[in-house]
Amino acid sequence: MKPGGSVILSTLVLIGSAGVGVGGYGWSVAHVRRWSGRQDLNFVTCDHCHFVKLERMPWAQPRAHHPSPAGMAVSPDGRHLYIALDDVNQVVEADTATRAITRRLTIAGGPFGLALDSQGEHLFVACRDRDQVVSVSTREFTPVESLGVGTAPVALAFCQTKDGPRLVVANSMSDDASVLAVSPLREIARPETGREPYGVAVSADGKLAFVVSRLAWSPHFKTPSASELTLIYTPSGRVMKRASLASAHLSEAVASVPGRDWELAPLVKVRNLVPITQVANGWVMSSGLAVSDKLGRVVQVPLDEANDYFADPSGIAVDAAGRRAYVASGGSDSISVVDLDRLANWLAKADAPTKRAAARDLTLSAQYVIDRLPTARNPRQLAISPDGRTLFVAERLNDSVLEVDTAGLRPIGRIVLGDGGAADPIRRGERVFTQAGHTFQRQFSCRSCHPDGHVDGLAYDFDGNGIGDNFLDNRSLQGVAGTEPFKWNGLNPSLEVQCGVRFARVLMRTDPIPPADLKDLTTYLKHLPPPRWERKHNQPLTPAQARGRRLFFATQQPDGTPIPRARQCQTCHRPPLYTDRLMSSVGTQSPGNPHEMFDTPHLLGIGQTAPYLHDGRARTLEEIWTTYQTNDLHGVSSYWNKHQLNELVEFLKTL
Amino acid sequence: MTRRALIERQARPPHSAGGQQKRSAPLTAAWLATLAGWLLVSGCDRPTPAGAIVLSQTPPTTAATNAGDVLDLRYPPGSRVVLAAPPFQTNDVLVLSAGLLAAGEPIVAPDGRRIFFVGKATAGDDWQIYQADNGGRPAPVTAMPGGAMDPAIIATGDLVFSSPVPKVGETWAMRRPPQLFAKPISGLPRRLTFAARAAVEPTVLADGRILFVSARPAADASASPALGLFTVNNDGTEFTAFALDHDGAPFVHRPRELSGGRVALVAADAAGRAGKTWAEDVQSARPFASRARLFSFSAGNCASVEPASDGAVLACLETRGTFGVFRLRPDATEAGTPLFFDPAWNSLDATLVAARPNPMGHVSAMKPTTHFGTILCLDVNFTRWAPDDARSAKAERIRVLTASDAGVPRVLGEVPVLADGSFMAEVPPEVPLGFEALDAQGRVVRREPPMLWLRPGENRSCIGCHEPYNRSPGNVRPLAASAPAVRLVGPAGAGEQAGL
Repeated sequence: MKPGGSVILSTLVLIGSAGVGVGGYGWSVAHVRRWSGRQDLNFVTCDHCHFVKLERMPWAQPRAHHPSPAGMAVSPDGRHLYIALDDVNQVVEADTATRAITRRLTIAGGPFGLALDSQGEHLFVACRDRDQVVSVSTREFTPVESLGVGTAPVALAFCQTKDGPRLVVANSMSDDASVLAVSPLREIARPETGREPYGVAVSADGKLAFVVSRLAWSPHFKTPSASELTLIYTPSGRVMKRASLASAHLSEAVASVPGRDWELAPLVKVRNLVPITQVANGWVMSSGLAVSDKLGRVVQVPLDEANDYFADPSGIAVDAAGRRAYVASGGSDSISVVDLDRLANWLAKADAPTKRAAARDLTLSAQYVIDRLPTARNPRQLAISPDGRTLFVAERLNDSVLEVDTAGLRPIGRIVLGDGGAADPIRRGERVFTQAGHTFQRQFSCRSCHPDGHVDGLAYDFDGNGIGDNFLDNRSLQGVAGTEPFKWNGLNPSLEVQCGVRFARVLMRTDPIPPADLKDLTTYLKHLPPPRWERKHNQPLTPAQARGRRLFFATQQPDGTPIPRARQCQTCHRPPLYTDRLMSSVGTQSPGNPHEMFDTPHLLGIGQTAPYLHDGRARTLEEIWTTYQTNDLHGVSSYWNKHQLNELVEFLKTL
Repeated sequence: MTRRALIERQARPPHSAGGQQKRSAPLTAAWLATLAGWLLVSGCDRPTPAGAIVLSQTPPTTAATNAGDVLDLRYPPGSRVVLAAPPFQTNDVLVLSAGLLAAGEPIVAPDGRRIFFVGKATAGDDWQIYQADNGGRPAPVTAMPGGAMDPAIIATGDLVFSSPVPKVGETWAMRRPPQLFAKPISGLPRRLTFAARAAVEPTVLADGRILFVSARPAADASASPALGLFTVNNDGTEFTAFALDHDGAPFVHRPRELSGGRVALVAADAAGRAGKTWAEDVQSARPFASRARLFSFSAGNCASVEPASDGAVLACLETRGTFGVFRLRPDATEAGTPLFFDPAWNSLDATLVAARPNPMGHVSAMKPTTHFGTILCLDVNFTRWAPDDARSAKAERIRVLTASDAGVPRVLGEVPVLADGSFMAEVPPEVPLGFEALDAQGRVVRREPPMLWLRPGENRSCIGCHEPYNRSPGNVRPLAASAPAVRLVGPAGAGEQAGL
């Protein structure tokens, strides 16, 4: 070919390519605008709407499982420690003298909570992922019986009553407790509890059960929240009192104090209504202890110190004499030792106003916290031997149980369950997630607001745009992979950015998480599945749910009136992630807030993430379309009746 | 000049009566060989021999009559900074301040390698901060007008110091008092504090905050200053009282964080350490309620306390007429045998030369282009005073003050207090701010003289007005957070009010 021909050909190719490019761009923009119904959108990548498959999500892939200790129970003779290993579906028996695992039992369904009967003949296992309680004969170490209970049981306690033995089970995801008769297992009541009940204890006389809830409710997003300590009469399962734990949540355990009229529950004091201009002096949250009497009268006292914090209080154990309580701080890898005599002295002297304000006084804990014992990674559950001499600490992310001599307050050995999983980046990431060492004075961890990667059910007032009404609802991290961008303003294009320098500036108030740790952290987050994903995925819908689904995907009203594309649910909340990953205006702009466009959240697990909307103003899914719908901007809902709304909500809860 | 030649033998101080020390030839040779090998092979980067300490040595008999500033008084001509290693032979030290007229105040960076100290090259020069060169001529790292003192190192590796160096007797009465600055080792300084009174003797806590000594403003300017410990972040934000509030001796020096949640300090009953000095500590768990003597035994004057290994401290105590270095456990019942003692010198400021965890950092939330800071008070009527105390009276308005260079208060404007006791105002940055709580009749019921400051774009909150220390806020939504802030940043701070 002549040189002139080459030039002409190249020019034509270039012109053709440019034409294809310009035409393709124009077509894609038109395509986006046609299918979204929004003329403000320009080019967006294809994967906003196409090529997304849940089965390809990181969290849907096989992952390594670890023998992480959850609940524990000590045999009445102190010779055996039973340990639930929920991630590997096992319960093991350890010899407390030799610290060797003597027997293993496979129990499907994520065995999490354990309790023994009075004689130690039966071990009761709460299987979180199968919604059942399994009774295990400790002699043969085999299951002998099982019973379905509420959703996601995580803790249980055994007691003797005048009407026979009872087992009280905390069902974390159905917000209730199952009260069971034993031998055979039979549910006699399922009273409602606080939100996400997570710990249960029974009084020494067996008459009362105390169920503590992990999440709080708030009547309005600008008013203080409260979690609940539910007092249940065990013979009948009747609720005797709902004690309010004001501005407190994340209680994961409760313990009765022998010889005193007390129940103790670790908690997090939260201050989400105060603008987060700083974090010093527990400005955002601090750790505390609820002291309740048998009538549910509660005093909250601090566990933190003025310049040092012990984040994420979780398990609690009290010795048989009622002299000492031990509180595991999962975020600071330590056990706080509380002298209950000293605490009693303080309570006896303090007047009512002082008690009411006690949890705010960070100098107070020095009066009754007598030691802080270091542990390995993420101590969560505690158990104590019947003679009170040995404290067992479940070091969850170290796959071990630490034994502590309570007389000398020193470690005496460790039951090794696994290698700790340090070679697994997901496990390493979970360690970063639960480690408070990345925040100023170790005040809190990622888990402090995202228990198990989920939500704490609160909205926080950040000051990034100055002090004012900048409430932002806390969003779940479960199922977050593939839903970028992040933040309600959609400014963080990746989890790496979300959890990096910006997070250090607005919340951690210290160094950013180091790059290697950040990589592990985001790996962990991307592998968090939506709640109960395996149980929900591809399950048949009930008729009501199916009707709700038709409403969700409706393109016209019953009378044939078309629903504008931009206001159809499925347009912005496009399956399978139920988000188009774009900003939208749904009429929820706050007074004084310049922003009207918000990131479209995914809906996987939406039924468990109340409150809703960017500032958490909607307490329930229903309120989105009843109280806070404006001119059908958030979907066309004006033609729905209440039954249709209920059916839509029932469908959303299946996601 | 070779490095080897720079390893000076023990020289007698210029005015020393000087005791004759027996030389330990084998140990000397071994020590010198170690140091020489270390220096010749690797220059400055190899770690110092384990257990080494760096300290100031001052001539014990030097008259301080010609002292011009506080460092002249503390480190008279001939004072030097030396490195000593086990077995701590007094005649075998490595002089780190060679070529300087006087030097002192050594500190060791968290890497355990770099050593900084204050030095004065000639009598006519200002004191500046120098970096040691392991026996070579130290290099100045500051060139501050009026001098620099009190070095410390923050998480970024930047140097923090106080400047200028006050004249003797003027530390707490200067019109332009010394303030804290930070600078990269080879970069420009940036000012961190904007207090009405001096900000001196910084040290860096493990949590990353800079702890320093300053004075609480007094209603009576002629009264003795009430010194306290305060903190700021490493960008100068979040000025906060840390400890000490009229609960002991009025003068304090050299706060240092120890293990076990304690902060040690040197207390004095007179300014400039002219009187008796002793070691105290506060528990960081209850910093305003735990001030106590550090040692159970009575000792001579104390010049410094520094953390050592295994929970012990290095204390420079005066015994037998001069100061020596003692390594003491917290439960020590007597000073015992000094670790390092040379009767020919006062041994001061002894610090372990060892790596330690880098302090935490702080990602600044300042907005340097913003011309105001915002302050939110949750409840001005939350005070530490008893209900029957006149100072607990209900406030209706807040008068915001600043202070001129001469310390004269000037009104920036007034802000209404909302029904829940909260208020919010935008205030000029980097000027001292004070507050007067006014009752319905306009009477001042509580007063905080100009003392704190905000950096540009800083959002700052307080929970009350003279509230109890170390309290967390209640979980209550302040009304002021939902109302526009009152703007007090008009021309020349004219007290412009807007937004209401």
